[in-house]
Amino acid sequence: MARFIGRRLLLMVPTLVLVSILVFALSEILPGDLGRFILGPYASQSAVTQLDHKLGFDKPIYVRYFEWAGHFVTGHWGTSYQYTNLSVFSIVEHALGNSLLLAGFALVIIVPTSIAVGVFAGLRRDSLLDRIITVSSLSMTVIPEFVSGVILIVIFAVELNWLPASATPPVGSPFVDRFYYLILPAIPLMLLELGYIARMARAGTVQVLNQPYIRTATLKGLPQRRVVFSHVLRNALVPTVTVIGSQVGWLIGGLVVIETVFVYPGIGNYTVHAALNHDQPLLEACVLVIAVIYMVSNLVADVVVALLNPRIRKSS
Amino acid sequence: MATTGTTPDRGDLELQVNAAAEAEQRRQRRFVVRTLFRSPTFLAGLVILLFWIFMAVFSTHVTQSPTNTGGAILASPSGAHWFGTDDLGRDVFARTMAGAHTVLIIAPLATALALLWGGIVGLIAGYHRGLTDDIIMRIVDAFLALPVIITAILIIALLGRSYAVLIVVIGALFTPVVSRTVRSAVIGEREREYVMAARLRGERSAFVMAREILPNITQPIIVEGTVRLGYAVFTAATLSFLGFGLEPPSPDWGLVIASEWSNLQTAPWVVLAPALALASMVVAVNLVADGISSAFSK
Amino acid sequence: MSVVGSQPDQPLPPASLDSRAAALDVRDLMVTFHRRGRDLPVLKGVTLRIEPGEAYGLVGESGCGKTTLAMAAMRYLAASGTSEGRVMVDGQDVSTLSDEALRKWRGGKVAMVYQDPATALSPAMRVGDQLAEVYRYHEGMDKKAALERSLESLRKVAIPDPASTLRRYPFELSGGQQQRVVIAMALSVNPKLLILDEPTTGLDATVEAEILDLIEELQGRINAAILLITHNLGLVRRLCTRVGVLYAGRLVEEGPARDVFTDPRHPYTMGLMRCVPRLGMNKTDAALQTIPGTLPALGEPLEGCVYSARCPMAKPICTRREPDLFAWPSDLPEQGRVAAEALPPDPAAYSPHHAEPLGVGPRHSRCYFASDVPGMPETTPVLASSLEERGAHEGDVLDIENMVRTFRDGAKKLTAVNDVSLSLRRGETFGLVGESGSGKTTLAKCVTGLIAADSGSVVFEDMVLKPTASRRSQDALRAVQMVFQNPDATLNPAWSTRAILTRAVRKLGGARGGSVRAKVDSLSAGVRVEPRFLLQRPTDLSGGQKQRVAIARAFAGDPTLVVCDEPASALDVSVQASILNLLVELQTREQVSYVFISHDLAVVRYISDRIGVMYLAELIEVGSADEVFNPPHHPYTEALLSSIPKLDFDNPGQRIPLRGTMPSLSEPPSGCRFHTRCHRMLGDICEQQEPPVQQASDGHTYKCHIAPAELLAAQTAEGQPTA
Repeated sequence: MARFIGRRLLLMVPTLVLVSILVFALSEILPGDLGRFILGPYASQSAVTQLDHKLGFDKPIYVRYFEWAGHFVTGHWGTSYQYTNLSVFSIVEHALGNSLLLAGFALVIIVPTSIAVGVFAGLRRDSLLDRIITVSSLSMTVIPEFVSGVILIVIFAVELNWLPASATPPVGSPFVDRFYYLILPAIPLMLLELGYIARMARAGTVQVLNQPYIRTATLKGLPQRRVVFSHVLRNALVPTVTVIGSQVGWLIGGLVVIETVFVYPGIGNYTVHAALNHDQPLLEACVLVIAVIYMVSNLVADVVVALLNPRIRKSS
Repeated sequence: MATTGTTPDRGDLELQVNAAAEAEQRRQRRFVVRTLFRSPTFLAGLVILLFWIFMAVFSTHVTQSPTNTGGAILASPSGAHWFGTDDLGRDVFARTMAGAHTVLIIAPLATALALLWGGIVGLIAGYHRGLTDDIIMRIVDAFLALPVIITAILIIALLGRSYAVLIVVIGALFTPVVSRTVRSAVIGEREREYVMAARLRGERSAFVMAREILPNITQPIIVEGTVRLGYAVFTAATLSFLGFGLEPPSPDWGLVIASEWSNLQTAPWVVLAPALALASMVVAVNLVADGISSAFSK
Repeated sequence: MSVVGSQPDQPLPPASLDSRAAALDVRDLMVTFHRRGRDLPVLKGVTLRIEPGEAYGLVGESGCGKTTLAMAAMRYLAASGTSEGRVMVDGQDVSTLSDEALRKWRGGKVAMVYQDPATALSPAMRVGDQLAEVYRYHEGMDKKAALERSLESLRKVAIPDPASTLRRYPFELSGGQQQRVVIAMALSVNPKLLILDEPTTGLDATVEAEILDLIEELQGRINAAILLITHNLGLVRRLCTRVGVLYAGRLVEEGPARDVFTDPRHPYTMGLMRCVPRLGMNKTDAALQTIPGTLPALGEPLEGCVYSARCPMAKPICTRREPDLFAWPSDLPEQGRVAAEALPPDPAAYSPHHAEPLGVGPRHSRCYFASDVPGMPETTPVLASSLEERGAHEGDVLDIENMVRTFRDGAKKLTAVNDVSLSLRRGETFGLVGESGSGKTTLAKCVTGLIAADSGSVVFEDMVLKPTASRRSQDALRAVQMVFQNPDATLNPAWSTRAILTRAVRKLGGARGGSVRAKVDSLSAGVRVEPRFLLQRPTDLSGGQKQRVAIARAFAGDPTLVVCDEPASALDVSVQASILNLLVELQTREQVSYVFISHDLAVVRYISDRIGVMYLAELIEVGSADEVFNPPHHPYTEALLSSIPKLDFDNPGQRIPLRGTMPSLSEPPSGCRFHTRCHRMLGDICEQQEPPVQQASDGHTYKCHIAPAELLAAQTAEGQPTA
């Protein structure tokens, strides 16, 4: 198992390098002269050129890439252009913490729920209950987060006044309060994942139910409960877990929107602002961190799959 | 050339059997179509979708003018203005109906692009395997690791906000996912005997990929396409909301929601109308997609 | 060197009495499936009875309903199936069981062994846990006690190293071991009825023989009745006292196995007996009789006797009124026919539904003309011409020298083909025999160029062939073609059949313009596929038709060599015979050579002029068909031949079990690769030294340390029957 994880980590490296190149290239193509941007439109051209040189912008691109990559790996992420007295590292740390709290909160609730719902629907395939579950989870999952966010805010915050419309509690509130404020923002995230995960769990269940070994288990005279938990579940979860891992990409996209709608200082919000304001160091760091999280979550999913599936475990 | 041991009337029996087989084929195709149309969710989705398609084409003919700023500012829904008016006095209903147009152009075209590019990449990677496959999939994995929305924002910030850019960007960003699906479908077909037979005829790779394998993987591609369509609508709307879609004064739903956000507390209908319209459109697309993929799996 | 104790000629009949409840009592069972708006009757009224402790074989080809009957006995029909009639197991009507009672019933009173053991076991659960489950849920044991009982039951099925097997996962076991586990699971709580559904299909010949040994041995010790469902008549002969023949959902013949097989009284049974090649038959001296027509599709309406459309003895009365299951011997069939002909022309009178046997007798037959069956007319025989007539004297068409092919599996290196050399003359069929892992398929793929050999040369008609097909000239490609195993995947389902042949004719045959159409028509005529079938998609053709089209495709360019990789293995027995005849006919006409791969030794013996036996990537014996199948021959060949369940009642032969299991290709044994399992191992020399190539006669060689003279003496001394 250790070898398995080690190999996967090793395989991540070239992908990571490629991603870093892409990220760097993308942020480089942002229009505008950075020096000009920092000094403003009224500064003289020579001052701008001087600043450019000082910041190293006149060096060839691949030199700058390696410098940046080198710094990044050693933890020197630079200073933000927007918040000039804050290091990028501290900003990202703070933002990431917030986002992980929100996402974690949503996932902890929704992942087990969707799996249970999906398996349940799969077991009762084509029944009325299954159709209801499938259709409603499908419908809820495809609604963009800002739409569901808007509707939720209008209903629960504006009309009924049950929940707050902002995601951050007032300064000085106890930590636990944060969860109360996170309920409304977490719901669109939950709905986003519910449909997708439930659908995969259902499909996995249906597929497994058709397998010969389920017939064997049933014809052995095992009670339905045992067949489901010990035979169906273990095998049906494999594609589901894989999918959950790759869903993180969408989750992060969803975070971007939710954080904008609810004005929450998470990493998505910071990334969008960094893009809009040409804050290169912050932008590059944020996108790279997001990419790493995506890859790590895929790795975790693969490890869980390997734990579930002895064939993969043994062959590594 | 007679079949061994045939008596004269046996030929007739075979003819009957053959005719029966052809009739059976037609029956089965009709049955699939009939199942589709029997599914209430599919029909509901189809109806809604057709409604929006109709509106996308004809809205200006059936509603008030969406650009007419003559009405009262932020008026509540009434007989004259079914969904009220917005902060410039425009009829919200008319604007909402007109907003269907943008999404219904961008999403299908972006999906078509994604299917085309993803299909090509997936075919090549899946058929050749080995080093080619490894390299292509590493690149695909790298692109998949980039968050879609953010990457889209960056590129749109560079290239500007227009129909063409949105279509190409969304299409390009969906390509990796599609290529994954196509690749795994190709891998499933690649070791089949008819492919081996083609190789033994000396067929070139391009022929085998396009004429032998591709016709057999249309089903997963169609299913993937319908799913992507839903996500394309989703993504286009999200980008608009974040300010990277079309320019104002387009009645594009995401744009309207974003720009009318400040009126949420006081005049929620201005925001709710496009929000509900968008929700209904996305749900409709996905119900249709779900119906098609279920019909195929029966 | 041990040999299993002499075979009983037939299993002992059970000492049952009518007063005990029958193990299985099926009365007029009708099962219909409803799919896509159509009603598909699979079982049309079957009545049969198995006494406690009796072994009953249910024989039939695809679609006859035999598996459905087993599922009905377990009350495990798909939701789309409805059943009428009664199924009683051990006196209990299966349909009246409550859900909880049904659960205890399954696995308790009735147990089942399945066709593919690899998929029948749950992949994510250890073997021991799966076995223990039965004890835990049927006898309420706790986990520890259940595991101990599981260990016991593994010992009973002779699994090597039962203790560590408990901890393994199914994929870590070989096919034979997996099936033993499934059998152990089925027998754990002493069922009254054990159903075996094609238990050895898909297993290697030697493994199959071991499993059959096991079942036979267990038969003596358990008191379960056995229902053996299979298409393989040899299995039935070996294990069962009685046999029932199922065709299109109806029982057409029933009786003691010996009598039914030696003196069939239904045209279908007679047809089956005639179309299966017996060991010892060769295409030059005897022809395979085929059953004309095709198996009826599910749901196809059949008038009168279900078999009449294909019966060479059919008379008008057969299509008007279905015969009853008459007792035999008696004059009931004759009486029945007379009565049927005397009926008024009222359609209702012609559609009886008699599932119950009529009359009492040891045997029953559903045919008005049961008495005429022994004289059933034969179909036109297709005898092969002699080797000389096929051009064998003209020299070699194929020469393979020292071919090697290795694969990489992670860090391990497997040698799939190890220094194989063989040659083939024009018009000759070279049969390649071997079990899984022997390398025969890899060799075939290297010859055709689908896989590139690592080293060694392939010379075709004085032309050195490039290792990969993509590099070969068009001339080389049209000359060396292949027919594949799986008829469902061999034709592209998205093309029309005509398009498939047209493309082949264009590409391989080099035809242009107007001649293309004519060539396609003549090709399909040559394989007996009528032009109207060409308009259909491959999915609408039957398995046999698909394979014929595949053969036509291979012949599109007038090839000189066609590699046939198990071309008939996936087809029903009655269809297999027509495909083999077709291949023989084409060889005589076109003077084409074949490399014919099959695991079915009787088929290989029938169709081959020369045979090569492969074991663990090496060619261990080569010679003419006659020479290889008779002493002196390699000990492996000897054991392989003894493992086939033979249909011959008078001369079943001695069974030679092999020790151990097939070694892995990544770690082949030292010295002689076969020494770990050989029953004639001489001693250390076999382990230390690679065996030399012995020459038994001109053209017959084998790799062994035993010289031909001694081998001949040893092998004939034990009364080995010649084959």
